Amino acid sequence: MSETMTADSAARLDTDPAAEQSARSEAPRKASSIEMQGLHKRFGHDTVALDGIDLNIQAGEFFTLLGPSGCGKTTLLRVLAGLEAPDAGSLAVGGRDITEVPPHRRSVNTVFQSYALFPHLSVRDNLAFGLKMRGLPSTERDARVAEIAAFIQLGDLVERRVDQLSGGQRQRIALARALICEPDVLLLDEPLSALDAGLRGQLQVELLRVQQRLGMTFVFVTHDQDEAMVMSDRIAVLNGGSIQQVGAPREVYERPVNAFVAGFMGHDNLFPVSARDAGRLTTALGELSVEAPGDGTLLLIRPETLDLLPGSVEGRNHLPATVVERLYRGSHAEFRLAVGETHLRAMVSNRGRHLPEVGEALTVTVAPEDLVTLSE
Amino acid sequence: MKKQTLRRCLAAFWWLTLAFLYLPLAVVVLFSFNSANSSARFADFSLRWYHQLMGNEAILSALGNSLVLAIVSALLAMIVGSVFGYGMYRHRRRRLGGLVLLIYLPLVLPDIVFGISEMAFFVQVHEWTGLLSPGLATMIIAHVTFQIPFVALIIYSRLVGLDPALFEAARDLYATPRQRLVHFMLPTFKPALMAAFFLSFTLSIDDFVISFFTAGPESATLPIYIWGAIRKGVSPEINAIAALMIAAVAVAALLSLAFGRRRAR
Repeated sequence: MSETMTADSAARLDTDPAAEQSARSEAPRKASSIEMQGLHKRFGHDTVALDGIDLNIQAGEFFTLLGPSGCGKTTLLRVLAGLEAPDAGSLAVGGRDITEVPPHRRSVNTVFQSYALFPHLSVRDNLAFGLKMRGLPSTERDARVAEIAAFIQLGDLVERRVDQLSGGQRQRIALARALICEPDVLLLDEPLSALDAGLRGQLQVELLRVQQRLGMTFVFVTHDQDEAMVMSDRIAVLNGGSIQQVGAPREVYERPVNAFVAGFMGHDNLFPVSARDAGRLTTALGELSVEAPGDGTLLLIRPETLDLLPGSVEGRNHLPATVVERLYRGSHAEFRLAVGETHLRAMVSNRGRHLPEVGEALTVTVAPEDLVTLSE
Repeated sequence: MKKQTLRRCLAAFWWLTLAFLYLPLAVVVLFSFNSANSSARFADFSLRWYHQLMGNEAILSALGNSLVLAIVSALLAMIVGSVFGYGMYRHRRRRLGGLVLLIYLPLVLPDIVFGISEMAFFVQVHEWTGLLSPGLATMIIAHVTFQIPFVALIIYSRLVGLDPALFEAARDLYATPRQRLVHFMLPTFKPALMAAFFLSFTLSIDDFVISFFTAGPESATLPIYIWGAIRKGVSPEINAIAALMIAAVAVAALLSLAFGRRRAR
């Protein structure tokens, strides 16, 4: 870190202040990749928090660790921050091994779930804390605070006391306090979970824009799959201390590798395959053509890929069904259909056409390329 | 109607309780301004006994001892007790429940048992090493001993009420261990430390029993002096000392409360 610091300040001397200013706020800054190998962490005798994590995060990526509570995502984030030491494995940021480096010597900053703003300091002193600890002179600290306040649009929040801030304001101050240090990697531990839904959506967009403008590597922890899909370049789904799947949001949502990932992404149309003949799979629904059947033992049908046709229609992947339940949600409607020996959930966007009523008999159809199989 | 009566009864009860607590103190303060040499009849207002007090070498020396003892012991207890409180906090998740209970024991132990134990201990130490003959040093040690639990509990309760992520935020924001102490721990705990100091100070000024058992011939504190003086009969001078002590303790207690308030905010 000291090497990059001196190179950084040397480079700054060569440029005039105005150019430096615009370079810092506009041009994508250097970002760092993260390599994790065989990370293990155990608490006590029988709680395995991390069970062999191998993961590479690319420079400048918005990467999300997604999973239920106790899946190890927060422990992994704390290992990245240096707040928790792994029992085994190695961790490198920007190609440099930092497994043994204490948190105060890592160019990694964290936005804590509780925000962790220092109550004894003003907002301004909170923002400048990291710079002060690094020994920056006060004139430069003031300039950087002004710069970050303009960047995150904090307005007059800088002059307030911490106990005068609302939840959303605290969140933004916590973000600014971590960003002001220009770390190689920014870690975010469920930073939006304490906010109400409206504010959360707004701050999701804000956070995403900040990341895109800075080009900094963000590692984001959440248990909310919608949030993960909106924000991330890539998502790692964790369960029981190990990674289940890594991929872009569409990949994880549309092609989950196993029942856990599918369930966590909100899918519930999962049907055990009882027989298979080339591209034709038999489940409790009946027989369906699948373009790429793979060798999975569960068939996943996403509710939004289904079409509902009135009356009885014959054809490939056309199944007779009866409406059991209808939930009208304005922009779309959800249906529970009785198909074959089981039930199937379907979602239809509301384009002003006829929405089938409960008890109505109809035909449900799905394209073979929209069907995937996955393992248990 | 009925509700109002109840409220009046409660108010009266409240005032009676206060009177019960403070009337005896008021009597002492009143008679400290009595011009006559009597504890039964109030003659005229006078500062006679206060003047006499100022000229009494023994009392001034006892006052000096009391202050030195209170300040030094409170300072030491603040430091040792804070470290202990921090240790309790750091290890609160381990199964140290029983061990932590040990710190409560001195709080409930009768002072006389504590005093006698301290005395016996110092006698043994003196016997074997020749150090710690009874005097201000032994009294300071004894006072620190009974102040530590109070300090430790004040600091511990402050720590428990604090977001644990704050410690991590300080580490995350590049603070070295030394910087964490100077820029995070000390400012965050200043109100709690001050409250602990003034409480310890008050406890020390208050104490008679433990001081009595650990004092040497030259180290009599005000309470010990008063006790000795009273055996020769109550002098109005004693009333004046008592009034001054009430004032001193009240100030320390109020300061402790004030810092406690700021801590709670």
